Amino acid sequence: MNAMNAGKTSAAVPGRLRTVLQNRALQMLVIVILVWIVAGLSSRGFASFGHLRYLLELAAVIGLVAAGQTLVVIAGGIDLSVGAIVTVSAISLPLLSGAGDATGLVGLLATLAVATAIGLVNGVGVSALRVHPMIMTLAMATFLQGALILVAGGTAVSAHNPVVEWLGSGRLGGIPAGILLWLVVSGATLALLHATPLGARIFALGANPLATLLSGVSVPGTTMLIYAVSGFTAGLAGIVVLGMNGQGYVGIGDPYLLASIAAVVLGGTSVLGGRGSYAGTIPGAILLVTVTALITVVNASPGWRNILFGGLILGLLLLSGRERARR
Amino acid sequence: MTSDDVDPVAVAPLIAAQDITRGFFGNPVLRGVSIALRPGRIHALLGENGAGKSTLINILSGGLRPDSGRIVVNGAPRGHLTPSDARKAGIAVVQQELSLTTTLSIGENIGLGAFPRRFGLIDYRTLAGRAREVCGLVGLDEPLSLPVGALSLGRRQMVEIAKALFRNPRILILDEPTSSLSARETGILTDLLGRLRAQGVAILYISHRLNEIMALCDHVTVLKDGVVTADRPLAGIDAAGLVRLMVGRDPGDLFPTWTAPPAAPPVLSVTGFAAGMTRDIALTVQPGEVLGLGGLVGHGQEDVLLGLYGAIPATATAVRVNGATSLPGRVTRANRLGIAYVPADRRREGLHLIHSIATNLMLPAFARQHGLSLRRRRQEQGATAVLAARLGIKGDLMRPAQALSGGNQQKVALAKWLPHDPRILLLNDPTRGVDVETKREIYRMLRQLADAGQAVILLSSDTPELVNLCDRVAILREGRIVARIERRDLSEAAIVAAAMGAATAPAGTGGAP
Repeated sequence: MNAMNAGKTSAAVPGRLRTVLQNRALQMLVIVILVWIVAGLSSRGFASFGHLRYLLELAAVIGLVAAGQTLVVIAGGIDLSVGAIVTVSAISLPLLSGAGDATGLVGLLATLAVATAIGLVNGVGVSALRVHPMIMTLAMATFLQGALILVAGGTAVSAHNPVVEWLGSGRLGGIPAGILLWLVVSGATLALLHATPLGARIFALGANPLATLLSGVSVPGTTMLIYAVSGFTAGLAGIVVLGMNGQGYVGIGDPYLLASIAAVVLGGTSVLGGRGSYAGTIPGAILLVTVTALITVVNASPGWRNILFGGLILGLLLLSGRERARR
Repeated sequence: MTSDDVDPVAVAPLIAAQDITRGFFGNPVLRGVSIALRPGRIHALLGENGAGKSTLINILSGGLRPDSGRIVVNGAPRGHLTPSDARKAGIAVVQQELSLTTTLSIGENIGLGAFPRRFGLIDYRTLAGRAREVCGLVGLDEPLSLPVGALSLGRRQMVEIAKALFRNPRILILDEPTSSLSARETGILTDLLGRLRAQGVAILYISHRLNEIMALCDHVTVLKDGVVTADRPLAGIDAAGLVRLMVGRDPGDLFPTWTAPPAAPPVLSVTGFAAGMTRDIALTVQPGEVLGLGGLVGHGQEDVLLGLYGAIPATATAVRVNGATSLPGRVTRANRLGIAYVPADRRREGLHLIHSIATNLMLPAFARQHGLSLRRRRQEQGATAVLAARLGIKGDLMRPAQALSGGNQQKVALAKWLPHDPRILLLNDPTRGVDVETKREIYRMLRQLADAGQAVILLSSDTPELVNLCDRVAILREGRIVARIERRDLSEAAIVAAAMGAATAPAGTGGAP
C-alpha cells in the first residue's frame, strides 16, 4: 500500500522485480538450474557435459510434441492424440521408406504429411463438426492405436533411413541433431506466437472464441491450422524417437502425451486458453526429464517421479497466483 | 393501503447506511455516504458509471465491508453486514450482471440457494408451486422446466426478478432491471413495484432511464464521485435537473444535431431477407444515413444484424451489399465487404477481457493481415495510441480490458473497427448500461461516422435514441417489419405504438403510417 502511494521511482522497481519473478519461463529456468546444481553436487557425473547433453536430447522429443500442444492449449483446446501420432510416425516411416529412396527424404516427408493430415482431421472435427477437442482427439488416438495394431501387430519395425539415423544420433559441432531440430522448432514456435498476426489470432481464439469470430478472424481456418501443426510436431518427434531408438513399435509414443501436457502446464500456459507462451514450455520439458533422471540416479521408486510432478505443478500454480475466475 | 395513506418519512427505515466510506487500492469510492430505505417507498439511486452505486449496493447487501460508517438494520446499528445477515434482514438484490445458471431450469434458478426441503431432499412440488406464483407476478409464462439458456436477455432479467421475489424480500434492490427489458416487460415490472410498495416493501431502484425514474420513484439519492449530491423527494424536480445533479452540467446537448444525408444510391439493400426468426425483411440504407431498428426486445432485430453480418445463416431474394449481389454468409466476407458489427454483450461477444486494451483494438487488423507476416509493434503502438486518444481512453493501453469501466469497454468495442473504415456499421444496442457522459460521446461519434458517409444500422432498446439519432426507423414485431417511420414522423409515442401493435389494428398487417 505504502509503496503504491510513494513516489514513482520507488514503486517501479519492486513492481518490475515482481513482474520478472512472476514470469513463469524464468521461474522454471531457475528451478531447472537449481535442480541441476543440487543433483550435480550430490551425484558425481550428473552435471557432466555429456549427461546434461543427453538430458537435453530427451527433452527435445517432449519439447517437439509440446510445441504443437502449446499452440492448441493457448487456443483453448487440447490434443490427446499426440502420443498416438508419435507412434504412427515412428512405425509408418520404415513402411514408407522404399528402396528407391536413397536419402530417406521422401519417406520422411511422406511421414510428416501423414502426421499433419491426422492433425488436420482433428481440426476439421473440432471446427466443422463441433466435436469437443477432448473427445475428438481421444477418439482419434483410440482409432490410431487400433489401426496400428492391425498394421504393425506386436512386432517392432526398424528403419534404414539415413536422414532419420542422422536425426537420432548425428551431431553438428558437437550438438546432437535432435537438439538442433528442437532449437529451430522453438524459434519458429516463439516467432509464430509472438511476432505474427496468426499468433495474435491464436491467443484471441483461446481467450474468447465468440468475440474472435465476430472480430472477423477465420475461426475454422485457425483451428484446423493449429491442430495440423500439432500433428506435424508430433510427427517430427516420432521421427526423432525412431532415430534414437533404431526401431519403432506400438506404444513407443504413449509417454509423450502426458509429458507434453505437463510441460505446457508447468510452463505457465493457461489450460483455459488465451494466456501462455512456449518460452515456459521449453524449461518445463527440461525439468520433466531432469526429475526423471534424478529419480533414476538416486535409485528411488518411479512412483516418486509422478509425486514430484504433481507437487511441482500445484506448487508453481500457487507461486504464480491462481487463475482468477472468468467467463 | 397505498403509499399515500402513510407518510413514509414518519416510518423508521428498514435499513440505513450512515456515513459510509469505502476505498479500493487507495482510491476512495464512497465518501461519507448515507442512505435510508423506508418501507412503502421506491427510492431511486442515480449516478454515472463509477459514481459508487454498485459499491453501495454491495455494502447494503453484505457483499462488501465499509471502511468506516455503520449500517442500521431495524434500528440496530452495526459495523457491517454479512451476506447471511442481509438474507435474514430480508434483503434481495436483482443484479445488473445476470447471475443465473444457464443450464438449470427457470424453476431451479428461482429456487437456487433457498430450495424448499423435504426429508433433506429438494421438494420439487413445493418449489414448482411457489416458483409458478412468482413467475405469475412478473408475467413469465414459459414452462418452469425450460433451461434459462433458451431465454432472451429480457426474459432472463424477469427470471432474475422472480428469483428475488421468491425470497419474500422486505427490502428489494434492483440494479438496472430494465436495461434489457421491452416496453411491455417494463410495464409489468412497474405495476409489480407499485404493488410491492403498497405492501410495505422498501425498494431501491437503479436505472439510467430518467423518465422511468420520474414515473416510478418517490425519493432520489444522487451520487457523484462517491459523494451524495442530493437526497430528496422526486416531487418538484425534472429530468434535466436530475442530470445536472449527476454530471454537474446541463444535459441539453445529449444528442448531436441531426443532419440530413445527401442523396445517394443505397450501399445496402435486401429484399425477402430471412434470418433466425425474421421473415420477409426489406431494408435499404444509403451512405450517411442512420437506420434505426426498433421494437420490443426479442422480436428479431438482433437476427437482422447477425444475418447481415454472416454470423447466423440467412437468405434473401435480392441483395446489393457494397457492390456484391449475395449476402456475406461469413463474418470474414462481411468484413471484406466493409461491414462491421458491434455486439450488445460486450463482455461475452465484443471484447477479450483478459487481453490488453491494445490487443483488443488491433484484433480486426490481425484478422486481415497475412497470418505469417511479421507484426510491426511500433506501428501497432502508434495506431492504438491514436485510437485511444480519439476516444478519450486514458491510461496504459497494456492494461487488460476488464480493468475498464463498462462505458470505456464499449468504446473499445466500437473503436477497433474505425481504422478499417467500414462502409456499413451494424450497432447492437451500443449504449446499454452506459453512463450519460459516455452515451453522449458515443452519439457524437456515431454522428461523425454518418457525416463521413458511413451507413449505420442502429438497433436500440432506448427509444429516445431512435428518435433523436435516426433518419428512419423500422419497427419489428414477431420477426417482421410492421412499420417504417420517417424522420418527420419520429416520436417516442409512434415507435412504442408501432412496436406494441397499437397503431394499426390488425396484427401483422401494419405498414407505414
